[in-house]
Amino acid sequence: MTVGAWICLLSPLAGALLITLAGTRISRRTAGYLSTGSVAVAFGGAITSFIGLLGKNGEERDHVSTAWTWLSGGSYRSGFEILVDPLSVMMMLIVSGVGFLIVAYSIGYMDGDKEERRYFAYMALFVFSMLLLVQGGNFLLLLAGWGMVGLSSYLLIGFWHERPSAIAGAKKAFVMNAIGDATMALAFFLIILYTGTLSFDHVFNIVQNGDSGISNSTPINLIALGLLGGAVAKSAQLPLQTWLPDAMEGPTPVSALIHAATMVTAGVYLIVRTHVIFEAAPKVEELAAGLGAGTLLLAGLIALVQTDIKRVIAYSTMSQIGYMFLGVGLGAYANGMFHLMTHAFFKALLFMAAGLVIHALHGEQDIRRMGGLRTLMPRTYLAFLVGGLALVGIFPFSGFFSKDSILAAAMDHGWYGYVLWVAGLAGAFLTGIYTARLFFLVFWGEPSAFVQEHFHKPKRDVVGISLAAPVAALAVLAAIAGWIQFAPLWHPIETWLQTVAEPLVSPAGWQEAVSSVLAVVLGAAGIGVAWLLYGARTRRVPRLAFAQRTLEHKFWFDELYDALFYRPSIRIARGLGRFVENPLIFGSGRELGQETRALGGLLGRAQTGLLRTYALAIASSVAVLALVFVVVR
Amino acid sequence: MTTLLIVVPLAAALVLWLLPLDRVSAAALALLAALAEVGLWIQLLIRFDWNERGLQFEQRRSWFSDLHVSYHVGVYAFSVWLIGLAVVVMAATIAYAVWVGRERARMYFGLMLFLTGAIVGVFAAQDLLLFYAFFEAMLIPLYVLVGVWGGPARMGATLKFVIYTMAGSLLMLASVIVYGLSQGTFDLVDIGASSSDWVFLGFVAAFAIKAPLFPFHGWLRDAYTESSPEVAAVLSGVVSKAAAYGFLRIAIAKFPGPTEDFRTPILVLAAVGLVYGSLLAFRAPDLRGVIAYSSLAQMGLITLGLFAANDLGFDGSVLQMVNHGLISATLFLLAGMVERRATTGELGRLGGMARGRPLLATVLMTTGIIALAVPFSTAFAGEFLILAGVFQQGWGWAVVGAAAIVLAAMYILRVISAVLHREPGTAVTDAALDLRPAELGIVVPLVACLLALSAWPAAISGHAFSRDEATRSVSQEFR
Amino acid sequence: MLGPSVAWYLSVSAFLFGVGALGVLLRRNPLIVLLSLEIMLNGANLALIAFSRHQGQGDGQIFALAVMAVAASEVVVGLGLIVAMNRKRITLDVDRLNTLRG
Repeated sequence: MTVGAWICLLSPLAGALLITLAGTRISRRTAGYLSTGSVAVAFGGAITSFIGLLGKNGEERDHVSTAWTWLSGGSYRSGFEILVDPLSVMMMLIVSGVGFLIVAYSIGYMDGDKEERRYFAYMALFVFSMLLLVQGGNFLLLLAGWGMVGLSSYLLIGFWHERPSAIAGAKKAFVMNAIGDATMALAFFLIILYTGTLSFDHVFNIVQNGDSGISNSTPINLIALGLLGGAVAKSAQLPLQTWLPDAMEGPTPVSALIHAATMVTAGVYLIVRTHVIFEAAPKVEELAAGLGAGTLLLAGLIALVQTDIKRVIAYSTMSQIGYMFLGVGLGAYANGMFHLMTHAFFKALLFMAAGLVIHALHGEQDIRRMGGLRTLMPRTYLAFLVGGLALVGIFPFSGFFSKDSILAAAMDHGWYGYVLWVAGLAGAFLTGIYTARLFFLVFWGEPSAFVQEHFHKPKRDVVGISLAAPVAALAVLAAIAGWIQFAPLWHPIETWLQTVAEPLVSPAGWQEAVSSVLAVVLGAAGIGVAWLLYGARTRRVPRLAFAQRTLEHKFWFDELYDALFYRPSIRIARGLGRFVENPLIFGSGRELGQETRALGGLLGRAQTGLLRTYALAIASSVAVLALVFVVVR
Repeated sequence: MTTLLIVVPLAAALVLWLLPLDRVSAAALALLAALAEVGLWIQLLIRFDWNERGLQFEQRRSWFSDLHVSYHVGVYAFSVWLIGLAVVVMAATIAYAVWVGRERARMYFGLMLFLTGAIVGVFAAQDLLLFYAFFEAMLIPLYVLVGVWGGPARMGATLKFVIYTMAGSLLMLASVIVYGLSQGTFDLVDIGASSSDWVFLGFVAAFAIKAPLFPFHGWLRDAYTESSPEVAAVLSGVVSKAAAYGFLRIAIAKFPGPTEDFRTPILVLAAVGLVYGSLLAFRAPDLRGVIAYSSLAQMGLITLGLFAANDLGFDGSVLQMVNHGLISATLFLLAGMVERRATTGELGRLGGMARGRPLLATVLMTTGIIALAVPFSTAFAGEFLILAGVFQQGWGWAVVGAAAIVLAAMYILRVISAVLHREPGTAVTDAALDLRPAELGIVVPLVACLLALSAWPAAISGHAFSRDEATRSVSQEFR
Repeated sequence: MLGPSVAWYLSVSAFLFGVGALGVLLRRNPLIVLLSLEIMLNGANLALIAFSRHQGQGDGQIFALAVMAVAASEVVVGLGLIVAMNRKRITLDVDRLNTLRG
């Protein structure tokens, strides 16, 4: 079982290394197969671990396997160890399973790119990093995976490195994530200070028992805040959400893998994994839920005006992760994880379908130039429809089951829960509008001039199959995966995660019912509004100049951060250079040199070059010295 | 064993200077000696007993018996790693010099080997006067190497370097004499702890200049950018570590009282240097300027860890010394390779070098990524331990450190994209080739060391100090 | 102890040293300067030997031997330089040799 998990972890790394070392000795296609194969092996390993765990009782489903002591300092040590428990296995399955489909899809999507090998090495590296994140058996390895994921996303976003916008987006994503890493690291320092260890079990035990003062309100709140900082950075939640849309500069499968299915959901995983700490700091946990609610509204609003097909989906991702944060922040861990899973399916599906559209239109991403693709790409149209309905949460697609149970959980959390519940419902309405808007603009109406000119059908060779098969598989998953858990009747995921994270809320049947009905009605209403505006086009889109500008500028967060952090730091650096480094320190050296030289010149005058002066000087000095000796005696 | 490590490069230097060898055989001999030195060090590593406390491979001969000065050498566990850093980096830099083909080969390689011997001597000396002698012997070849083989403004750079280090050395000499005479012995193992603030400050000033710590880094910019790349690599990779070693071995170990008293001001200087260096690195217009200022920042970080004066900080600092030595040496050598291709290190005129140069891109990217301390890299491990250690002295230090690490991400990414990404810059032509096999042979071993350490940073951090099993504390090892 | 007391030796030695010192300071011909230097050394030698004998120890004599050896080598170098200067037709005047002026 742990062997399976190790294979799962190391196989993508081996794939990445192999492709890197082989270099040009293997063909581009082979690199793609290698990468896909290594991720498939990882998926196999995850399944073995899953089956292994199934065969155990609930209490015994917790295994730590240590390979070696990775880092030690003083009495502190952390092993290179993996944790196999229901939560990590669930994440392993999602990451390697969806990852496999997306890497396979990439074989077709990236076909013909000059640097395919590098791409596939990066992809495998990413899957390794993500697996390290979810399998890491202590906080330090969690952080290691956390950082590696940020790194590989940097590499992948900036894959087309001749484009300045891609590089800028990649850097932005990395720096934002580095901020999250830093706050997490600070939280870990606090943990070390109070407990001397970073192992999950020990820390959780100490927190629960309230030993060693860690559970006092200040330290535990700071620790939880630090962890939350990491979570919001990785999951693109308020206030560190600005990097995600810019990250869409990467190739589309990257967006599907990183910015939809796996990486951005890491924050949710983190909160569930460390829920003991968050439960000891309830205010911070509620803050997490509040941030989630805020993000889901904000992102939903911004998505209404975006014109880039990938950015619309990116904002919907932010919004959906907002739901997950809302759920896990209120203690509905299983529901959050369930939504994470279904979201991975339908969001990857949407991205990959969007990728097919982009591919067919020679890289065009502006939805205003699209239209009428329904007849030209019927299968893609169908896949997109499934994904879209799942996203809006229409029965019986997967989003319905997972999203609505989060909303129901919100009703069971006092007045604060009701506020969040209302936000969630509003978000459902927005989701309906922007999803349907995207859908109608791209697929309905008459084919635009641009489409007629540029459309080309993918061929039915390896490329075509590699593009189509994963989309089909995900479409099926997005359609039916929701049935795994139907909150009022059966809940295997909740049972499965019981030993790791016991839910704090248990919504009653009527709450489930009310939430479901309202969410579906509002989602459908959103679709209806979009239909009027963009489908049937019977109503003009209302023009609200200021609102529109605010949304197009994404509530001016970029500008704000630019003014608050980036510019000042540049200015400080320049100022330091001009007013401190050059005149005082650099200059001090110059001055020092000049002074020394001047002094040397002064002393040099004593150097007459005349032998007899020297002799006289020596003689007189000796005489003076002799005199001094005699007198002093 | 220890003496052998010191003598082999010195002897090779002497041979180079005395025998009228031609260019090729001089280079070959130098390379051979450097590699033999690495081999010797591996022997040392294998034969070192990690469970034993205290000095090993000790040798002592009386030198001036009435002053209790002796030729006393030996290695502690952490010295093993620093010696390893020194010999590996020196081998790489000598190999680079061979590949570039420096003028006046016999003189040049002789100096490099002499430098190697002196640095190893610094790390192994267990007598104050001997330490001082090696410390000075280390500086002399550097003056010549910067002053003769440097860039166009080398004279100014050398002058500054000489003045700064001379000032430091004199302070240290005064401290050595006062301390040794007042204790009646110069032996670093036998000598008792002192509580004299002035003697302590004399040592600290010398090491702070050599490291350098803010604001003693006036010489840094010129010396790192005007000298040839391999000399800059030695300066920032190895020589600066001699200063950090001095902090650890003398200032902290022998002056517990003053260390306690002056901790806050020193930590402030280190923290200021960390942020200041990072900010200036973000602004520096050329490749080597960035590495130079990042070096300043890293030395600040290492000093933070040392003066945290707890186990986490010590272990982390030793690990980070090795990390930073390898990283900055690799970066300087890579900068040299880039400059040879583009004839300039100005970031504004570089760019787009990743296209068609996969090897250069991969190596630079890997080193850069480790340099910015992405979690799971060995630099991250070192910084994590250091900050965890200094966190216990006060939360603020670690917050500053964490902020500086975000800044580090910004300046390293800036360098990576400025060199590798976007459209090719004006200075980058198609004639600028990918790395040649020989160049790979120079930098890949360094990168391999970094990757190996990333897989197992505890190799160093867990084996830097032999511990008292009961308290698991290093504090008493060499007091 | 036979012979004159050590004071006599010392006065002769001081006399020799003074003559030599005056020669070094006043004369300009390097040859004479060198000669005067030798006289100074011999003055010092005399003092060394006198004290050595006075104390009954051999140390001073050994020092005197060492000084003689040094003096001899010095003369070799010095005379060599003077001959070389002469060959190059450089005026033999120490006041003219001021190239080292700072």
